Amino acid sequence: MSKEDDKVEVYKRRNMLKNKLGMGVRTNEQGHLDQEKIDEADQLIAALCVDCIETLGENLDKLSSIWAEMKDISPSAERENKAQQIFTLAHEIKDVSALCGYTLAAYFAESLRDYIGQTAYELKNQRIIIQAHIDALNVIQKNNIKDDAGPAAIELKKMVKVAIDKY
Amino acid sequence: MVASINNNNSLAYNLSNFTVLVVEDSLYMQTLISSMLKVFGVGDIVVCSDGVEARELLTIMQARSQSRYVNSVDIVLTDWLMPNGSGSELLEWVRNNEKDSIRFLPMVVVSGYTTEKLTHEARDLGANETLVKPISGNLLAARICSVIDNPRPFIRSSNFFGPDRRRQQTLIDGEDRRKSRPNIVEKQV
Repeated sequence: MSKEDDKVEVYKRRNMLKNKLGMGVRTNEQGHLDQEKIDEADQLIAALCVDCIETLGENLDKLSSIWAEMKDISPSAERENKAQQIFTLAHEIKDVSALCGYTLAAYFAESLRDYIGQTAYELKNQRIIIQAHIDALNVIQKNNIKDDAGPAAIELKKMVKVAIDKY
Repeated sequence: MVASINNNNSLAYNLSNFTVLVVEDSLYMQTLISSMLKVFGVGDIVVCSDGVEARELLTIMQARSQSRYVNSVDIVLTDWLMPNGSGSELLEWVRNNEKDSIRFLPMVVVSGYTTEKLTHEARDLGANETLVKPISGNLLAARICSVIDNPRPFIRSSNFFGPDRRRQQTLIDGEDRRKSRPNIVEKQV
């Protein structure tokens, strides 16, 4: 190992964020954000979640129509592009569902996102696994299922697992 | 200006002079995060939808960091998985940038990609904080306060540039048996 590889530079910077707050750049004083503001931010999340099930429905419609186009396309740039769109939508469904407490929808959306990214699958295998995920998400949306551990959740997870294990 | 002092003698921050860049591809999450920041009192919230756009914005906005009249970005909140320029690419670009106003920027990774691997990768690329979704008021406030209150020194070694990855400075009992030590150069910036 050379001397250069050995060298570690430590940059001790003035705290310019504290400077912006009107505090000294070298102060160790710590602060907080008002609890009222934090509570207000949480209320924003709650308000956004009122429409969560509708947003989930809209995203699922988009996802289903992209999937309908994608499933018959042989491996190509166009198929990759559709897969990317589904990846992004599934990722968004996962984020929004998790945020609003729809943990089962988040679970399937995350799994769908990860499966769609795996291009090594034979077309038929991928088709069945992806369709099982979309079907499960549609059931969740139509029945407004939040719970990740109830009988409906267990049944849906089993249904998707069967598709994954089979292929 | 600092707003007020609460019962615990801790200061309630007034973020009206702050500019925060939110990099998030989901419109839903963009709206949510920027609304939360607005509630927190952040003065200027800039939103963009991917890492490529963020790089362009930062190049322009940080060039004016010396100006008294226009704002430059103080904190970046970035998603990890984005189709056009991911959070990891953005982080790498920021920490390898030649401009101090960019490479020392506080970077908070906000991600729903909840793996230990991501946390390590983000840390090793120089993230200051990681916020795992689902987001909440407390989590976001805690990350912002941590960036303000606990700025770790930046480290440059042969294979890393970013905030010191060791958060704890633990004292070790007994004899120091390390055979070699890095040649540490301290710089005040």
